[in-house]
Amino acid sequence: MTGNVHERAQALIALGDAQLVSAADRTWLNRHIEECPACRDYASNTSDVIHALRSLPVAASSALVAATQLRVRLRAQELQRGQERLWLVWISCVLVTSSAGLTTLLAWRSWEWLGQRLQISNLTWQVCFVLIWMAPVLIGSLLLLARGTHLAEHTGTWEG
Amino acid sequence: MNAAAYFVHAMAEENSEIARGLRRRDPDLLDRLIEQYQHRLLRYLLHLTGNPAMAEDLFQETWVRVLERGSHYDGRHEFSTWLFAVARHLFIDSTRRKHHASLDGMLDDNRPIEIPATGQPSAFDLTAQRELSERVTDGLTHLVAEYREALVLRFQEGLSLEEIAVVTGAPLGTVKSRIYRGLNALQPYLKGAQA
Repeated sequence: MTGNVHERAQALIALGDAQLVSAADRTWLNRHIEECPACRDYASNTSDVIHALRSLPVAASSALVAATQLRVRLRAQELQRGQERLWLVWISCVLVTSSAGLTTLLAWRSWEWLGQRLQISNLTWQVCFVLIWMAPVLIGSLLLLARGTHLAEHTGTWEG
Repeated sequence: MNAAAYFVHAMAEENSEIARGLRRRDPDLLDRLIEQYQHRLLRYLLHLTGNPAMAEDLFQETWVRVLERGSHYDGRHEFSTWLFAVARHLFIDSTRRKHHASLDGMLDDNRPIEIPATGQPSAFDLTAQRELSERVTDGLTHLVAEYREALVLRFQEGLSLEEIAVVTGAPLGTVKSRIYRGLNALQPYLKGAQA
């Protein structure tokens, strides 16, 4: 029981500023410290430790601060440029998508008109349109796929 | 509005302003913050790492990370709390790269902390205080890393227990226990100074 009282007192001393200890705790602690030399010593020592901790001299050099500020500014500029590039990519994507949609529509109408003029069945000119319109994309995809496979095989050889 | 309420309101306003500036990646704001928090952050990192070179590297990395992830700061906590948490995560990342999983990995690491001298002029009336500080610094080097961190955050950086819990990710009870045990562990070094 007595041990618990001292432990409680020392815990309150360690954590003890106004925001941590209630008024009742503080009154009890003050009374206990007056009566108990061991806890009084503990309080005094703790106060010295805390004071010493607060006064440990550590200062950042001005060179470190200047170097950090420069590095942060350079990184900020880099991020800013990246952000601007991203905007350009977005704008390009929107423009390309709009133009592709418009062009497809116009090309479809042209093929329809041509099909009627040449008296070709709807199915025929539509299949031809899809094949010709899609051909560049299909060929490009196949080439990229082949290149990717080639690179993967090459990397695998190096790692192996 | 009483003084305390006014102070709380002013702090909240300042934190919100910092949060807005960080979202804009305002370089002038960052310059000001670096100057304002330079000593506190470096002191925390020195005690965390025990190595001035590593502390200085992490100091720079921390501010770059603050720039990059500034939008994550919501202004609800003190900026310093968030700043120390960022620094702590970077430290853990860097120690993890060196095969430490967390601060726990440094429990038995009793490397001495090399605190660089600040070049203050010596004065007779400061000798006793300096000797005490040296003893406490020596004591800190022998503390478990978690105790050292809790003491530094509490008494050097003046963080509240709740803020320390946020920075370290530890429960409030654990933070209290670390401070209590850390102070107890430092007592013998103080007795050495008084002898």
